[in-house]
Amino acid sequence: MLAIRHLTFAYAGAESRPVLADISLDIAPGEYVLLCGAGGSGKSTLCRTFNGLIPYFHEGTMQGEVQVAGRDTRTHSVGDLFAYVGLVFQNPAAQLFNSTVERELAFGLESLGLPRAEIRRRVAESAELVGITDLLSRPPGQLSGGEQHLVIIAGMLALHPRLLVLDEPFANLDPANVRRILTALRAINQRGTAIVLTEHRLHYALAEVNRLVVLHQGRIVQDGPPRAVLREDLTAYGLNLPLVVRIAQHLGLPEIPLTVDELMTTLGEAAIPPELLPQRPDVAVKPGAPVAQFEQVSFAVGGRNILRDINLDVYAGECLAIVGANGAGKTSLIRHLNGLHRPTQGRVLVLGQATRRARVSQLARQVGLAFQNANDQFFKFQVWDEIGAGARALGRYDEAWLHELAALFRLEPLLTRPPYRLSEGEKKRVAFAAALAARPDILILDEPTAGQDGHFRRTLGDLLHQLRLRGQTILLVTHDLDFAEQHASRWLLLAAGEVPATGHPWEVMADSAALARAHLEPTQAFHLHAALSAYAAQHEV
Amino acid sequence: MFALDPRTKLVLTLLYATLLVLSVQPAWLLAELGVLLLLILALRVGWRYLRWLRLVGAMTLFWFAIAWWSFDLATAALTSLRLLSLTSVFFLFFQTTTPEDLGNALVKTGLPYAFAFVLSSSLQFVPVISRKAQNIIDAQRARGIPLEPGWAAVRHYPALLAPLLIQSFQLADELAEALEARGFARPGRTFWRDYRMRFHDWLVLAGAALILTAAILLR
Repeated sequence: MLAIRHLTFAYAGAESRPVLADISLDIAPGEYVLLCGAGGSGKSTLCRTFNGLIPYFHEGTMQGEVQVAGRDTRTHSVGDLFAYVGLVFQNPAAQLFNSTVERELAFGLESLGLPRAEIRRRVAESAELVGITDLLSRPPGQLSGGEQHLVIIAGMLALHPRLLVLDEPFANLDPANVRRILTALRAINQRGTAIVLTEHRLHYALAEVNRLVVLHQGRIVQDGPPRAVLREDLTAYGLNLPLVVRIAQHLGLPEIPLTVDELMTTLGEAAIPPELLPQRPDVAVKPGAPVAQFEQVSFAVGGRNILRDINLDVYAGECLAIVGANGAGKTSLIRHLNGLHRPTQGRVLVLGQATRRARVSQLARQVGLAFQNANDQFFKFQVWDEIGAGARALGRYDEAWLHELAALFRLEPLLTRPPYRLSEGEKKRVAFAAALAARPDILILDEPTAGQDGHFRRTLGDLLHQLRLRGQTILLVTHDLDFAEQHASRWLLLAAGEVPATGHPWEVMADSAALARAHLEPTQAFHLHAALSAYAAQHEV
Repeated sequence: MFALDPRTKLVLTLLYATLLVLSVQPAWLLAELGVLLLLILALRVGWRYLRWLRLVGAMTLFWFAIAWWSFDLATAALTSLRLLSLTSVFFLFFQTTTPEDLGNALVKTGLPYAFAFVLSSSLQFVPVISRKAQNIIDAQRARGIPLEPGWAAVRHYPALLAPLLIQSFQLADELAEALEARGFARPGRTFWRDYRMRFHDWLVLAGAALILTAAILLR
């Protein structure tokens, strides 16, 4: 179906190091492959060789060959191949260019030159399969991120491709949306379409796929059934392995479990080493004085309630995580802290002062906010100027402090480079340093782990630890509960603009009704902790 | 009007615009605007028209003030009436015709598809780009770069324009890639909707041409 032989590729003009080195890969009809690897390992590049975008669209030097359904990609154009390999990219905004969902699904079929009746039939069929029939007449721009991805998938599916390729479809999606897409993909796969999926958060997809391919520095380093591959030593590859897999690897279990329940049955009498046991996340920080307060805050836009009756105290020196699904109101909440939003009712205090009349630039001295997309702020030609730009505008430029930040965020080798040419992980580090440049009392990070690999998560974890030792108050905004559990001592759970639970991460997760209302799933660590407690209780009796 | 071919609607709009430009009697202009308003009511886009009018109405008043100041009241009234009618007829056109329909119908008349696509998709990306601009303004304000409307912002415009340009180029690149992956460049495109000039299209056009000719002769 797809046959790759000794493929080597280097982008034109880039450094001599090839992005893909001697790749050989066969994908058979009906396979479901998870392609993983750290950022920069070549996953996206490899996906783009499947339908001829490489070498036609992206120039470079290519050796070896790629065959799609018997057609060599060097002699067939993308226009000949796109109906065999459907490629779904990461950014939905750049893939939706029609006025309605219906037209979006029809677009590829129109390219194929199919008769009108067949186009209508296939649009209806693929919408049905993916479960978006009710969205057909809506403008795609108004849909949620998860729905937009489903529309793009349906658009590819309508072409009846033999292989569907998805490049990090889950990067910005919450668990409920990820499940929705996984369910659609399972149905597609069961009809015989092969699927290749790239993703960093392995625990979602591992149980779904029947093959795991690990890419490292442009080479395939592992390839096989997931449980077999996971038995190997994968530490060098920057993956974000699920906790149960790490425990099983450590214990050398013969069969690698993928879920907590599987682990509990395989475990038998073997004891989990204490360093891997889920630790109750620390609560060591003594709450200092509140630095920010929400008093019965409600916020509405155009008559629609975004936040309702929020009460919250943020204490000096704590790391608080605001967790919730896409669209729960997390970003709206934090935008109240620097005056980008003003409460419709109630009031917000920052360092004891109401934000209602304060200017955004005034609040920026107290609250440093790094938004999710670091590209939104880069306008200087050097990282160094970029970090200092905000502090300069605020009249708080302190060169010694900037040097300290550069060291802390390991940006020293990058200081003279243009920020928008960095890797996504490096960009995020620059944005975080910039948010701290004016020495704000509160640092807010909006979805800092979205789309990031295991290396980045560990680096960011270390950074947060360093900052907390210095007494920095931190707000994490995220739907990545694993990360929030490891690094925040307190959670505020948001569900549709309300707060169904708040407190220690494990207490919040123990409230399963609240968690379900927020459309989130408990972490493996919490799940395992609960299972172990239940096991211990049973054996005491 | 819904059943007409997009090309018919385009020609009708242009003919009506010509009529408006040629009308010099206030009574005529008022009557022509009245016809447009009736059409707007008949098509049940009245509310949208009012919302749109908030913007265009302000512009028209501004124009009226300037024209009055530089010429006289009669000229000001006449030209602002004409401006309002002209914008209303195009409002009506865009309410009843999606850009894609217009583009695709023109492709049938011989316009290359790539042109038609640019015509229709550029409108699609207006909200995307404006959302991006808003995100950038917020991100910069959040770190103390004052991009709120006002004189202070002018000095800081690179902080908005540089990220907006870089990201727009990036978006264009990604869009080109996504289009390629859905067979944009492949020859032999069909259209999901049928665009055909039917008998009533020609009939309506002939009637409109007659009315316009009569109006010019009677002037």
